[in-house]
Amino acid sequence: MNRKILNIVVNGESHQVLIEPHWTLLQVLRNEIGMMGTKENCLEAECGVCTVLLDGKAINSCILLAAQVEGCSVTTIEGIGDPEHLHPLQEAFIECGAVQCGYCIPGMILTAKSFLDENPGCRPSRDEIREAIAGTLCRCTGYRKIIDAVATAADRIALSGAKQ
Amino acid sequence: MSFDLHRPATVTEAIDLAQRFAPTARYVAGGTDTVIQINRKKIDPAHLIDVACLPGLSEITETTDAFTLGALTKYRSVETHPAFRGDLRVLVEAASVVGGHQVRNIATIGGNIVNASPAADFVPPLLALDASLDITGPQGRRSVALRDFIVGPGRTNLSPAEIVTSIRFAKLPARSATAFLKEGRRRAMEISIVCVAACLTLEASTSRCASVRLAIGAASPTAFRPEQAEGYLIGKPAGKESFAEAGRLAAEACSPISDVRASAGYRRGLVAVMVERALTTCLQRIREQDQ
Repeated sequence: MNRKILNIVVNGESHQVLIEPHWTLLQVLRNEIGMMGTKENCLEAECGVCTVLLDGKAINSCILLAAQVEGCSVTTIEGIGDPEHLHPLQEAFIECGAVQCGYCIPGMILTAKSFLDENPGCRPSRDEIREAIAGTLCRCTGYRKIIDAVATAADRIALSGAKQ
Repeated sequence: MSFDLHRPATVTEAIDLAQRFAPTARYVAGGTDTVIQINRKKIDPAHLIDVACLPGLSEITETTDAFTLGALTKYRSVETHPAFRGDLRVLVEAASVVGGHQVRNIATIGGNIVNASPAADFVPPLLALDASLDITGPQGRRSVALRDFIVGPGRTNLSPAEIVTSIRFAKLPARSATAFLKEGRRRAMEISIVCVAACLTLEASTSRCASVRLAIGAASPTAFRPEQAEGYLIGKPAGKESFAEAGRLAAEACSPISDVRASAGYRRGLVAVMVERALTTCLQRIREQDQ
Protein backbone atom coordinates (compact mmCIF):
# COMPACT_ATOMS: atom_id res chain seq x y z
CA MET A 1 0.00 0.00 0.00
CA ASN A 2 1.34 3.30 -1.06
CA ARG A 3 -1.52 5.52 -0.01
CA LYS A 4 -1.28 9.26 0.21
CA ILE A 5 -3.67 11.88 1.50
CA LEU A 6 -5.63 13.80 -1.10
CA ASN A 7 -7.19 17.12 -0.15
CA ILE A 8 -10.10 17.88 -2.40
CA VAL A 9 -13.16 20.13 -2.29
CA VAL A 10 -16.26 18.42 -3.65
CA ASN A 11 -19.42 20.47 -4.07
CA GLY A 12 -18.07 23.05 -1.62
CA GLU A 13 -17.16 20.56 1.08
CA SER A 14 -13.53 19.76 1.97
CA HIS A 15 -12.52 16.12 1.99
CA GLN A 16 -9.35 14.29 3.00
CA VAL A 17 -9.13 10.90 1.34
CA LEU A 18 -6.42 8.23 1.48
CA ILE A 19 -5.79 7.31 -2.13
CA GLU A 20 -3.57 5.02 -4.17
CA PRO A 21 -1.56 6.68 -6.95
CA HIS A 22 -3.43 4.92 -9.76
CA TRP A 23 -6.92 5.80 -8.58
CA THR A 24 -8.82 8.09 -10.89
CA LEU A 25 -10.95 11.02 -9.80
CA LEU A 26 -14.00 8.96 -10.84
CA GLN A 27 -13.03 6.16 -8.45
CA VAL A 28 -12.49 8.62 -5.60
CA LEU A 29 -15.81 10.38 -6.20
CA ARG A 30 -17.86 7.18 -6.39
CA ASN A 31 -16.06 4.77 -4.07
CA GLU A 32 -14.60 7.07 -1.43
CA ILE A 33 -16.90 10.09 -1.32
CA GLY A 34 -20.12 8.41 -2.43
CA MET A 35 -21.10 10.78 -5.24
CA MET A 36 -22.88 8.17 -7.35
CA GLY A 37 -24.31 10.70 -9.82
CA THR A 38 -20.99 10.61 -11.67
CA LYS A 39 -21.27 7.59 -13.96
CA GLU A 40 -18.74 5.04 -15.15
CA ASN A 41 -18.69 3.59 -18.63
CA CYS A 42 -15.97 3.65 -21.28
CA LEU A 43 -13.01 4.60 -19.06
CA GLU A 44 -11.28 6.12 -22.11
CA ALA A 45 -12.74 9.66 -22.31
CA GLU A 46 -14.86 8.65 -25.29
CA CYS A 47 -18.37 8.84 -23.86
CA GLY A 48 -18.49 11.65 -21.30
CA VAL A 49 -20.80 10.08 -18.70
CA CYS A 50 -18.09 10.60 -16.06
CA THR A 51 -17.93 14.37 -16.70
CA VAL A 52 -17.48 16.60 -13.64
CA LEU A 53 -16.36 20.21 -13.30
CA LEU A 54 -12.76 20.68 -12.22
CA ASP A 55 -12.34 24.26 -11.05
CA GLY A 56 -15.43 25.03 -13.12
CA LYS A 57 -14.43 23.28 -16.34
CA ALA A 58 -15.83 20.02 -17.68
CA ILE A 59 -13.34 17.15 -17.71
CA ASN A 60 -13.52 13.36 -17.96
CA SER A 61 -13.01 12.06 -14.42
CA CYS A 62 -12.42 8.49 -15.66
CA ILE A 63 -8.89 9.14 -16.94
CA LEU A 64 -7.77 11.86 -14.54
CA LEU A 65 -5.49 10.60 -11.79
CA ALA A 66 -6.92 11.75 -8.48
CA ALA A 67 -3.46 12.59 -7.16
CA GLN A 68 -3.21 15.28 -9.86
CA VAL A 69 -6.16 17.25 -8.46
CA GLU A 70 -4.70 17.91 -5.01
CA GLY A 71 -6.25 21.12 -3.67
CA CYS A 72 -8.70 21.46 -6.55
CA SER A 73 -12.42 22.06 -6.43
CA VAL A 74 -14.76 19.55 -8.06
CA THR A 75 -18.45 19.95 -8.83
CA THR A 76 -20.61 16.88 -9.47
CA ILE A 77 -24.26 16.69 -10.50
CA GLU A 78 -25.16 16.56 -6.79
CA GLY A 79 -23.56 20.00 -6.36
CA ILE A 80 -25.51 22.11 -8.82
CA GLY A 81 -29.04 21.77 -7.47
CA ASP A 82 -31.40 19.66 -5.37
CA PRO A 83 -35.03 18.58 -5.86
CA GLU A 84 -36.28 21.77 -4.22
CA HIS A 85 -33.82 24.08 -5.96
CA LEU A 86 -33.12 22.78 -9.43
CA HIS A 87 -30.46 24.35 -11.63
CA PRO A 88 -32.00 25.95 -14.76
CA LEU A 89 -30.39 23.17 -16.84
CA GLN A 90 -31.97 20.48 -14.67
CA GLU A 91 -35.32 22.27 -14.88
CA ALA A 92 -35.11 22.53 -18.66
CA PHE A 93 -34.06 18.88 -19.09
CA ILE A 94 -37.21 17.82 -17.19
CA GLU A 95 -39.51 20.24 -19.02
CA CYS A 96 -38.21 19.31 -22.46
CA GLY A 97 -38.40 15.58 -21.78
CA ALA A 98 -34.68 15.34 -22.51
CA VAL A 99 -34.13 12.37 -20.21
CA GLN A 100 -34.61 8.83 -21.53
CA CYS A 101 -32.59 6.15 -19.73
CA GLY A 102 -30.85 8.91 -17.82
CA TYR A 103 -27.37 7.43 -17.70
CA CYS A 104 -25.68 10.23 -19.69
CA ILE A 105 -27.69 13.05 -18.16
CA PRO A 106 -25.40 14.04 -15.24
CA GLY A 107 -22.48 14.25 -17.66
CA MET A 108 -24.61 15.98 -20.26
CA ILE A 109 -25.80 18.66 -17.83
CA LEU A 110 -22.30 19.33 -16.52
CA THR A 111 -20.86 19.45 -20.06
CA ALA A 112 -23.53 22.02 -20.95
CA LYS A 113 -22.95 23.99 -17.73
CA SER A 114 -19.22 24.26 -18.39
CA PHE A 115 -19.94 25.56 -21.91
CA LEU A 116 -22.61 28.07 -20.81
CA ASP A 117 -20.40 29.31 -17.95
CA GLU A 118 -17.58 30.00 -20.44
CA ASN A 119 -19.69 32.63 -22.19
CA PRO A 120 -22.02 34.19 -19.65
CA GLY A 121 -25.23 35.51 -21.18
CA CYS A 122 -24.67 33.84 -24.54
CA ARG A 123 -27.51 32.27 -26.48
CA PRO A 124 -25.74 29.57 -28.45
CA SER A 125 -27.09 28.29 -31.77
CA ARG A 126 -28.15 24.66 -32.06
CA ASP A 127 -24.93 23.93 -33.97
CA GLU A 128 -22.85 25.49 -31.20
CA ILE A 129 -24.67 23.37 -28.60
CA ARG A 130 -24.17 20.27 -30.74
CA GLU A 131 -20.46 20.99 -30.92
CA ALA A 132 -20.24 21.73 -27.19
CA ILE A 133 -21.80 18.40 -26.18
CA ALA A 134 -19.98 16.33 -28.82
CA GLY A 135 -17.84 14.69 -26.12
CA THR A 136 -20.87 13.32 -24.26
CA LEU A 137 -22.75 10.47 -25.88
CA CYS A 138 -26.42 9.60 -25.39
CA ARG A 139 -26.85 5.95 -26.32
CA CYS A 140 -30.63 6.51 -26.46
CA THR A 141 -29.72 9.06 -29.18
CA GLY A 142 -32.16 11.59 -27.75
CA TYR A 143 -30.06 14.53 -28.83
CA ARG A 144 -32.86 16.70 -30.24
CA LYS A 145 -34.54 17.18 -26.87
CA ILE A 146 -31.22 17.48 -25.10
CA ILE A 147 -30.33 20.35 -27.43
CA ASP A 148 -33.82 21.85 -26.86
CA ALA A 149 -33.17 21.71 -23.12
CA VAL A 150 -29.72 23.33 -23.29
CA ALA A 151 -31.10 26.11 -25.54
CA THR A 152 -34.04 26.69 -23.18
CA ALA A 153 -31.75 26.86 -20.15
CA ALA A 154 -29.33 29.19 -21.95
CA ASP A 155 -32.21 31.56 -22.81
CA ARG A 156 -33.43 31.62 -19.21
CA ILE A 157 -29.96 32.10 -17.76
CA ALA A 158 -29.28 34.95 -20.23
CA LEU A 159 -32.62 36.55 -19.38
CA SER A 160 -32.14 36.35 -15.60
CA GLY A 161 -28.59 37.68 -16.02
CA ALA A 162 -29.93 40.64 -18.02
CA LYS A 163 -32.49 41.41 -15.29
CA GLN A 164 -29.89 41.49 -12.52
CA MET B 1 -0.70 -1.42 -12.66
CA SER B 2 1.16 0.24 -9.87
CA PHE B 3 3.25 3.34 -9.89
CA ASP B 4 4.33 6.22 -7.71
CA LEU B 5 3.17 9.68 -8.68
CA HIS B 6 5.59 12.53 -8.03
CA ARG B 7 4.59 16.18 -8.05
CA PRO B 8 7.66 18.39 -8.58
CA ALA B 9 7.37 22.14 -7.99
CA THR B 10 9.85 23.24 -10.66
CA VAL B 11 11.19 22.07 -14.02
CA THR B 12 14.59 21.39 -12.41
CA GLU B 13 12.98 19.20 -9.76
CA ALA B 14 11.04 17.34 -12.45
CA ILE B 15 14.23 16.65 -14.43
CA ASP B 16 16.01 15.46 -11.27
CA LEU B 17 13.19 13.02 -10.56
CA ALA B 18 13.17 11.76 -14.15
CA GLN B 19 16.92 11.12 -13.95
CA ARG B 20 16.70 9.46 -10.56
CA PHE B 21 13.96 7.04 -11.67
CA ALA B 22 15.08 6.49 -15.26
CA PRO B 23 14.31 4.33 -17.20
CA THR B 24 11.03 3.52 -15.46
CA ALA B 25 9.90 7.14 -15.16
CA ARG B 26 7.52 8.97 -17.44
CA TYR B 27 6.22 12.51 -17.45
CA VAL B 28 2.47 13.02 -17.35
CA ALA B 29 0.61 16.28 -18.01
CA GLY B 30 -3.15 16.16 -18.73
CA GLY B 31 -2.93 12.37 -18.75
CA THR B 32 -5.56 11.97 -21.47
CA ASP B 33 -3.22 9.74 -23.43
CA THR B 34 -0.89 8.40 -20.73
CA VAL B 35 -3.61 7.08 -18.42
CA ILE B 36 -5.38 5.32 -21.30
CA GLN B 37 -2.09 3.73 -22.39
CA ILE B 38 -1.46 2.54 -18.83
CA ASN B 39 -4.99 1.11 -18.60
CA ARG B 40 -4.48 -0.71 -21.90
CA LYS B 41 -1.17 -2.06 -20.53
CA LYS B 42 0.74 -0.52 -23.42
CA ILE B 43 3.08 1.20 -20.98
CA ASP B 44 3.91 0.31 -17.42
CA PRO B 45 5.90 3.12 -15.79
CA ALA B 46 6.95 2.65 -12.16
CA HIS B 47 7.16 6.42 -11.66
CA LEU B 48 4.91 9.08 -13.10
CA ILE B 49 6.20 12.62 -12.80
CA ASP B 50 3.32 15.07 -12.88
CA VAL B 51 4.32 18.18 -14.80
CA ALA B 52 0.76 19.50 -15.14
CA CYS B 53 1.13 21.90 -12.25
CA LEU B 54 4.56 23.33 -13.12
CA PRO B 55 4.23 27.11 -12.98
CA GLY B 56 4.56 29.39 -16.00
CA LEU B 57 4.15 26.78 -18.72
CA SER B 58 0.48 27.35 -19.56
CA GLU B 59 0.64 30.87 -20.96
CA ILE B 60 0.16 32.12 -24.49
CA THR B 61 2.42 35.16 -24.96
CA GLU B 62 2.63 37.55 -27.87
CA THR B 63 5.63 39.71 -28.80
CA THR B 64 5.89 42.10 -31.76
CA ASP B 65 6.95 39.36 -34.13
CA ALA B 66 6.13 36.01 -32.53
CA PHE B 67 3.85 33.89 -30.36
CA THR B 68 4.96 31.50 -27.62
CA LEU B 69 2.66 28.79 -26.34
CA GLY B 70 3.60 27.19 -23.02
CA ALA B 71 3.80 23.41 -23.44
CA LEU B 72 1.00 22.99 -20.88
CA THR B 73 -1.39 25.22 -22.84
CA LYS B 74 -4.76 23.49 -23.12
CA TYR B 75 -6.46 23.06 -26.50
CA ARG B 76 -9.45 24.99 -25.22
CA SER B 77 -7.21 28.00 -24.44
CA VAL B 78 -5.93 27.97 -28.03
CA GLU B 79 -9.45 27.56 -29.36
CA THR B 80 -10.80 30.56 -27.48
CA HIS B 81 -7.76 32.85 -27.83
CA PRO B 82 -8.72 36.13 -29.54
CA ALA B 83 -5.34 36.52 -31.30
CA PHE B 84 -5.87 33.33 -33.29
CA ARG B 85 -9.10 34.34 -35.03
CA GLY B 86 -7.40 36.04 -37.98
CA ASP B 87 -4.52 34.78 -40.10
CA LEU B 88 -3.62 32.13 -37.49
CA ARG B 89 -7.05 30.49 -37.64
CA VAL B 90 -5.37 27.14 -38.44
CA LEU B 91 -4.62 26.81 -34.70
CA VAL B 92 -8.26 27.27 -33.69
CA GLU B 93 -9.49 24.96 -36.43
CA ALA B 94 -7.12 22.18 -35.37
CA ALA B 95 -7.56 22.64 -31.61
CA SER B 96 -11.34 22.47 -31.92
CA VAL B 97 -11.40 18.99 -33.49
CA VAL B 98 -9.39 17.29 -30.74
CA GLY B 99 -11.67 15.10 -28.59
CA GLY B 100 -14.60 16.75 -26.85
CA HIS B 101 -14.66 19.85 -24.66
CA GLN B 102 -13.76 17.69 -21.65
CA VAL B 103 -10.51 16.51 -23.24
CA ARG B 104 -9.72 19.98 -24.60
CA ASN B 105 -10.06 21.46 -21.11
CA ILE B 106 -7.23 19.33 -19.77
CA ALA B 107 -5.12 17.85 -22.59
CA THR B 108 -1.98 19.87 -23.37
CA ILE B 109 -0.50 20.76 -26.75
CA GLY B 110 2.96 19.78 -25.47
CA GLY B 111 1.60 16.31 -24.70
CA ASN B 112 0.18 15.99 -28.21
CA ILE B 113 3.57 16.87 -29.70
CA VAL B 114 5.73 14.56 -27.57
CA ASN B 115 3.33 11.64 -28.15
CA ALA B 116 4.30 11.97 -31.81
CA SER B 117 1.23 10.17 -33.08
CA PRO B 118 1.23 10.23 -36.90
CA ALA B 119 -2.41 11.40 -36.64
CA ALA B 120 -1.88 14.11 -33.99
CA ASP B 121 -4.16 16.93 -35.11
CA PHE B 122 -2.19 19.80 -33.62
CA VAL B 123 1.15 18.93 -35.22
CA PRO B 124 0.35 19.86 -38.88
CA PRO B 125 -0.72 23.44 -38.04
CA LEU B 126 2.46 23.97 -36.06
CA LEU B 127 4.53 22.51 -38.92
CA ALA B 128 2.75 24.87 -41.31
CA LEU B 129 3.72 27.76 -39.02
CA ASP B 130 7.32 26.46 -38.97
CA ALA B 131 7.22 26.24 -35.16
CA SER B 132 10.21 25.55 -32.90
CA LEU B 133 10.26 23.85 -29.53
CA ASP B 134 12.12 25.00 -26.43
CA ILE B 135 13.43 22.07 -24.44
CA THR B 136 15.02 21.90 -20.99
CA GLY B 137 17.00 18.90 -19.81
CA PRO B 138 19.89 17.74 -17.64
CA GLN B 139 22.32 19.41 -20.09
CA GLY B 140 20.48 22.73 -20.07
CA ARG B 141 18.29 24.34 -22.68
CA ARG B 142 18.05 23.89 -26.41
CA SER B 143 15.70 24.70 -29.27
CA VAL B 144 14.75 22.48 -32.17
CA ALA B 145 12.51 22.94 -35.18
CA LEU B 146 9.34 20.86 -34.84
CA ARG B 147 10.01 19.25 -38.23
CA ASP B 148 13.31 17.85 -36.89
CA PHE B 149 11.78 16.86 -33.54
CA ILE B 150 9.37 14.11 -34.57
CA VAL B 151 11.44 11.29 -36.08
CA GLY B 152 8.96 8.41 -36.34
CA PRO B 153 5.62 7.13 -35.10
CA GLY B 154 5.74 7.74 -31.35
CA ARG B 155 9.42 8.73 -31.57
CA THR B 156 10.97 12.16 -31.00
CA ASN B 157 14.51 13.42 -30.58
CA LEU B 158 13.96 14.09 -26.85
CA SER B 159 16.79 12.76 -24.71
CA PRO B 160 15.91 11.03 -21.43
CA ALA B 161 14.58 13.45 -18.79
CA GLU B 162 14.19 16.35 -21.24
CA ILE B 163 10.98 18.40 -21.09
CA VAL B 164 9.41 20.47 -23.85
CA THR B 165 8.65 23.80 -22.18
CA SER B 166 7.24 25.92 -25.00
CA ILE B 167 6.40 26.16 -28.68
CA ARG B 168 7.28 29.29 -30.71
CA PHE B 169 6.38 30.54 -34.15
CA ALA B 170 6.78 33.83 -36.01
CA LYS B 171 3.82 36.02 -36.90
CA LEU B 172 2.83 35.92 -40.55
CA PRO B 173 3.55 38.67 -43.08
CA ALA B 174 0.75 40.70 -44.67
CA ARG B 175 -1.46 38.91 -47.22
CA SER B 176 -1.16 35.58 -45.41
CA ALA B 177 -3.83 33.12 -44.35
CA THR B 178 -3.97 29.63 -42.89
CA ALA B 179 -6.46 26.76 -42.88
CA PHE B 180 -6.85 23.30 -41.36
CA LEU B 181 -8.96 20.48 -42.75
CA LYS B 182 -9.65 17.11 -41.18
CA GLU B 183 -11.41 14.06 -42.56
CA GLY B 184 -12.67 11.31 -40.29
CA ARG B 185 -15.54 8.84 -40.37
CA ARG B 186 -17.65 11.15 -38.20
CA ARG B 187 -17.49 14.85 -37.35
CA ALA B 188 -16.42 14.74 -33.71
CA MET B 189 -14.44 12.55 -31.31
CA GLU B 190 -12.52 11.07 -34.19
CA ILE B 191 -8.97 10.14 -35.10
CA SER B 192 -8.05 11.71 -38.45
CA ILE B 193 -7.99 9.65 -41.63
CA VAL B 194 -6.05 12.57 -43.09
CA CYS B 195 -5.58 16.12 -41.87
CA VAL B 196 -4.00 19.02 -43.75
CA ALA B 197 -2.74 22.42 -42.64
CA ALA B 198 -1.83 25.18 -45.08
CA CYS B 199 -0.19 28.57 -44.73
CA LEU B 200 -0.21 30.76 -47.84
CA THR B 201 1.33 34.20 -48.41
CA LEU B 202 0.73 36.13 -51.63
CA GLU B 203 3.08 38.68 -53.21
CA ALA B 204 2.40 42.27 -52.15
CA SER B 205 0.44 43.38 -55.19
CA THR B 206 -0.14 40.29 -57.35
CA SER B 207 -1.99 37.03 -56.89
CA ARG B 208 1.21 35.00 -57.14
CA CYS B 209 2.28 32.74 -54.27
CA ALA B 210 5.17 34.27 -52.31
CA SER B 211 5.43 31.61 -49.62
CA VAL B 212 3.64 28.31 -49.05
CA ARG B 213 3.89 25.86 -46.19
CA LEU B 214 1.81 22.69 -46.22
CA ALA B 215 1.68 19.95 -43.60
CA ILE B 216 -0.05 16.61 -43.84
CA GLY B 217 -1.03 14.35 -40.95
CA ALA B 218 -2.04 10.67 -40.79
CA ALA B 219 -0.75 9.92 -44.29
CA SER B 220 2.89 9.03 -43.47
CA PRO B 221 4.83 7.66 -40.47
CA THR B 222 5.04 11.25 -39.22
CA ALA B 223 3.22 14.42 -40.12
CA PHE B 224 5.36 16.00 -42.84
CA ARG B 225 5.80 18.96 -45.21
CA PRO B 226 5.51 18.07 -48.92
CA GLU B 227 8.41 20.22 -50.08
CA GLN B 228 7.97 19.58 -53.81
CA ALA B 229 4.38 20.79 -53.67
CA GLU B 230 5.44 23.85 -51.66
CA GLY B 231 8.32 24.67 -54.02
CA TYR B 232 6.17 24.19 -57.11
CA LEU B 233 3.76 26.92 -56.00
CA ILE B 234 6.34 29.67 -55.41
CA GLY B 235 5.84 32.39 -58.03
CA LYS B 236 2.82 30.61 -59.55
CA PRO B 237 -0.55 32.37 -59.78
CA ALA B 238 -2.71 31.25 -56.85
CA GLY B 239 -5.77 29.42 -58.14
CA LYS B 240 -7.49 26.19 -59.01
CA GLU B 241 -4.92 24.98 -61.53
CA SER B 242 -1.79 25.50 -59.44
CA PHE B 243 -3.49 24.30 -56.23
CA ALA B 244 -4.64 21.07 -57.94
CA GLU B 245 -1.09 20.40 -59.13
CA ALA B 246 0.22 21.05 -55.59
CA GLY B 247 -2.34 18.55 -54.31
CA ARG B 248 -1.15 15.98 -56.85
CA LEU B 249 2.50 16.51 -55.82
CA ALA B 250 1.60 16.25 -52.13
CA ALA B 251 -0.26 12.99 -52.72
CA GLU B 252 2.82 11.61 -54.50
CA ALA B 253 5.00 12.56 -51.54
CA CYS B 254 2.98 10.80 -48.84
CA SER B 255 3.31 7.15 -47.82
CA PRO B 256 0.01 6.21 -46.22
CA ILE B 257 -0.93 2.88 -44.66
CA SER B 258 -4.16 0.91 -44.95
CA ASP B 259 -5.78 0.41 -41.58
CA VAL B 260 -9.18 0.08 -39.92
CA ARG B 261 -10.00 3.71 -40.78
CA ALA B 262 -9.14 3.87 -44.49
CA SER B 263 -7.11 2.31 -47.27
CA ALA B 264 -3.81 3.79 -48.39
CA GLY B 265 -5.33 4.62 -51.77
CA TYR B 266 -8.21 6.50 -50.20
CA ARG B 267 -5.83 8.43 -47.99
CA ARG B 268 -3.70 9.39 -50.99
CA GLY B 269 -6.80 10.58 -52.83
CA LEU B 270 -7.85 12.61 -49.81
CA VAL B 271 -4.44 14.29 -49.59
CA ALA B 272 -4.72 15.59 -53.17
CA VAL B 273 -8.22 16.96 -52.65
CA MET B 274 -7.64 18.35 -49.16
CA VAL B 275 -4.41 20.16 -50.07
CA GLU B 276 -6.23 21.85 -52.95
CA ARG B 277 -9.18 22.77 -50.70
CA ALA B 278 -6.98 24.04 -47.87
CA LEU B 279 -5.09 26.30 -50.29
CA THR B 280 -8.37 27.51 -51.82
CA THR B 281 -9.62 28.37 -48.34
CA CYS B 282 -6.41 30.32 -47.64
CA LEU B 283 -6.83 32.24 -50.89
CA GLN B 284 -10.44 33.08 -50.04
CA ARG B 285 -9.36 34.33 -46.64
CA ILE B 286 -6.61 36.53 -48.10
CA ARG B 287 -9.14 38.03 -50.52
CA GLU B 288 -11.50 38.76 -47.63
CA GLN B 289 -8.65 40.54 -45.80
CA ASP B 290 -7.78 42.49 -48.95
CA GLN B 291 -11.27 43.95 -49.15
